[in-house]
Amino acid sequence: MWAFLGSDTLFFGTLIATHLVYRGRGGGTQEEIFDILITTVSTFVLLMSSLAMVLALAGFQQGKIGAGRFWLAATALLGSVFIGFQMFEFAEFAIHGLTPRTNLFGSTFFIMTGFHGTHVAIGILWLWSLFFASFKGKIHQGNALEIEIAGLYWHFVDIVWIVIFGVVYLVGAYGVEDRVAEGAHSMARIIGLV
Amino acid sequence: MAHEVETHHGSHPGSGVYIKIAIILAVLTAAEVAVFYLDITSWLMTMILLALALAKFVLVVGYFMHLKMDDRRFSLLFFFPLIVMVSLAVALMALFHNLTR
Repeated sequence: MWAFLGSDTLFFGTLIATHLVYRGRGGGTQEEIFDILITTVSTFVLLMSSLAMVLALAGFQQGKIGAGRFWLAATALLGSVFIGFQMFEFAEFAIHGLTPRTNLFGSTFFIMTGFHGTHVAIGILWLWSLFFASFKGKIHQGNALEIEIAGLYWHFVDIVWIVIFGVVYLVGAYGVEDRVAEGAHSMARIIGLV
Repeated sequence: MAHEVETHHGSHPGSGVYIKIAIILAVLTAAEVAVFYLDITSWLMTMILLALALAKFVLVVGYFMHLKMDDRRFSLLFFFPLIVMVSLAVALMALFHNLTR
């Protein structure tokens, strides 16, 4: 699973990098339509889902199957709430004229957050499958590793959102990636790369 | 393979530790939003926001994902691509900054 997460890190890294590169180009940025407070709430929900996930793992590892099931369901439900927030946000963006077809900012933003949302959705399905499998005795204290592996995936989805929220929503609102790019370009010239 | 992983597995923290970590994560998120609305220079804001995001990242990876207590090979599997990704992002921003303006 760690090898997969390493590859997924590269995947999301390219999406985030592409968005940062094309921000401000091809029709202007749309940061004015970001609702930071709404996104903060959804970020908090996803962080709490990570807490629920580790509590689910602890439950199964300690043989407390009922508690483990409860926290598994809680994780999936919190993830669904996050998806709901994302769908609301995307609908608001569309009303304000930002869609994947509007400009480069829109297409890169929706590709990036869309893939993240898809990862969350897959995680939710995975968690529910584990939840129902536990009722059939297929998930128990002896094979809590199954829960741990699902947990690694879920926490990875969470840290991807930590990066997107921090870099795209917050830092990106002030165009600082231009300063970062200028600094990196200057360094590259100094060491002879360009 | 599962058994081999288990023998390298450190003990998991208790629920109390996880709840404390979650509270810290919530506080860091609130701090990020508070800083966002402060009237400070963009560079200082960027540094603070990136530091807060990094702190959240480290807490989730280290404790929730248990990497702090796990085999060092897992850290290599995860952090090597992460370093490649960050380098790629900075290099792309530097390369395309002038070419597409």
